[in-house]
Amino acid sequence: MKLKPPITLAWTRFTSCSGCQLMLLNCESSLAELAQVVALREFPLATSTECKDEEIDVGLVEGSITTPSELERLLALRRKVNLLVAVGACALTGGVNSLVRGERRQAMTEVYAGQADEWNTFPPQGIEHFVKVDGQIPGCPPEQGELLNSIGALLHGGWPGHQVMPVCMECRINENPCLLERDCAPCLGPITLAGCNARCPSLGVPCEGCRGVVAEANRDELRRLFITAGLTEQDIRHRLERFGEAP
Amino acid sequence: MTRLVVDPLTRVEGHGRVELLLKEGGLHEVKVRLLESPRLFESLVVGRRYDEVPDLVCRICAICSAAHKLTALQALENLMAIRVPPLAATLRELLLLGGHLQSHALHLFCLILPDLCDTPDLLVLLQRKDPLAEAGIKLKAFGNRLQEVVGGRVVHPVNPVFGGVSYFPCRQDIETLLKELLHWQTCWPDLCTQFLQLGNYPEARPVIGNALATGLQESFALNGESLFYGKEQLISSSGYKELLGERAREDSHAKDSNGQSGPFLTGALARARLAADRKLRFDTPAEAFGIHGNNLAQASEIGWTLQRLGQLLEILLEADPAEPLRKTLKQVNGGVGTAATEAPRGLLIHHYVVDEWGKVVAADIVTPTAINQRVMAAQIMADLADEKDHERLCKGAERIVRAYDPCISCAVHLVRVEHSS
Ligand code: SF4
Ligand code: SF4
Repeated sequence: MKLKPPITLAWTRFTSCSGCQLMLLNCESSLAELAQVVALREFPLATSTECKDEEIDVGLVEGSITTPSELERLLALRRKVNLLVAVGACALTGGVNSLVRGERRQAMTEVYAGQADEWNTFPPQGIEHFVKVDGQIPGCPPEQGELLNSIGALLHGGWPGHQVMPVCMECRINENPCLLERDCAPCLGPITLAGCNARCPSLGVPCEGCRGVVAEANRDELRRLFITAGLTEQDIRHRLERFGEAP
Repeated sequence: MTRLVVDPLTRVEGHGRVELLLKEGGLHEVKVRLLESPRLFESLVVGRRYDEVPDLVCRICAICSAAHKLTALQALENLMAIRVPPLAATLRELLLLGGHLQSHALHLFCLILPDLCDTPDLLVLLQRKDPLAEAGIKLKAFGNRLQEVVGGRVVHPVNPVFGGVSYFPCRQDIETLLKELLHWQTCWPDLCTQFLQLGNYPEARPVIGNALATGLQESFALNGESLFYGKEQLISSSGYKELLGERAREDSHAKDSNGQSGPFLTGALARARLAADRKLRFDTPAEAFGIHGNNLAQASEIGWTLQRLGQLLEILLEADPAEPLRKTLKQVNGGVGTAATEAPRGLLIHHYVVDEWGKVVAADIVTPTAINQRVMAAQIMADLADEKDHERLCKGAERIVRAYDPCISCAVHLVRVEHSS
């Protein structure tokens, strides 16, 4: 479906750090151009008018769903947007929000003492658990180029091709030394979806897997490498689950 | 009894609400509520390895991600008695200041400027090609670029790691930054004048709250081992719990749990009051601005930051990139560690307890907005005591809250209703 510019776009935020939104707001040099082809109906960081339109071309969703009222808002949004795109790890898998283990009520009580009852919440989840999602932009936070490319592709009636290779391959292309081999560092590059141009390993920082797990990831091999590098089973589990890889 | 509700508060970070109760036409009670969904960071780090913590807690808030990461690192490094190499400290300070620049520019130009121009938001100003708005956005972009060069990523920086930093930025990037910095140093005095004029702000009463900041030394209080408040009173950062009376308790309400010397005010205005080198030097006494003086203080702090950034970038240009950037730990030690940092919006405290195997046992995070939340309602009460017009009451309350530059995403670590009557 090819949309006619200016397309209407609503950025809806649920439980999140606002980082995904900030990445778009930080595309300062492209904002003016963007404003010509996109009518921004909702964008909480810059303006807090909530969108009243009955129909919206594209809904971009940031954040995970943690309360019944958020779920209601998500369902209402799904009904009025033609295309729904999940942006960032929080919307895709729940992100770091979902790392709270064990009894949630107990955790609430620990942090909020007597006021826990004021909150009616459930474990944070990605939006795909509740509604049909038409497109995904991974990352924590997503790459600016990918945000702009995706919006551009929507304008042309398509969707950017998905990466299928791991971050590791981008490291090879950039001729980076392998951190796993050189430093025995717990780099998740071998199983993480590429698309960031191996941002972290290129700077000498091990990948924390913020873009999620690539299809057909060789988890067994990575586990073996991590054990050789001196990590315990628990360390490995913690590292893997940070961005949605169930242990 | 009439009840006025401002919900959502516009142009603040996160979702908040103000409730105004009127009796016999006058303001009787004010409630400020921060309504973000809880994210339970203090509980989700428990049981994890100490060196995982900074990567997780920076996700509390995107705008303050550098401050959160650096404060967490500092607390854990204090805990294990590690001092980062000098070059790493310089890079960290640069990163933090890049964050300050970005955050202050965002607040002044995206959130406050529309008030001064009487427009609903910045987008309207940009469509009009307002030169001040355009310049402000560029200044914010410069703060971001600094963070990207030094931190590896604009949001959730990856360069700072336990014991120091991972990499030294490339020389060419540093030179470009320095060039751009000179441009901003020259044009800032003209750019900031809008924010310094008394006529641009509503009438205000004296600021409520005892100014509180980390012990401000010549560097940007990154090693905040002490807290500084009132008239030169210093205590060690680890004593913050007694000072702030932070914890929400079942048996007591916020009012009772205030520390003896509180309530406190933190942020740029508090820094301006406490640090000699950050003193505001303007014709109009800052007191006349009331809490809106925080905008003034941020504007003057940007000037200070631009100077300090110059010194730091020069240090980098002269440094030997082969100098050590990171200390490694010989052996994990358990213990208790606290660190306090001046985040853009004020005092940020991280506190951790780690066991002998390096696993986190407990965590406590106190954010600037949580500290300021106690004085916000009281300030609204004081400033708007004589106001009767409903629309002006709502607008006035909103502008007061906005002046604090609250970060509600950060503050939901401690949500409670604040009353003032
Ligand atoms: S995905 Fe990451 S950057 Fe985006 S909102 Fe969640 S925590 Fe923030
Ligand atoms: S290298 Fe890994 S952690 Fe870094 S941005 Fe890419 S996917 Fe995210």
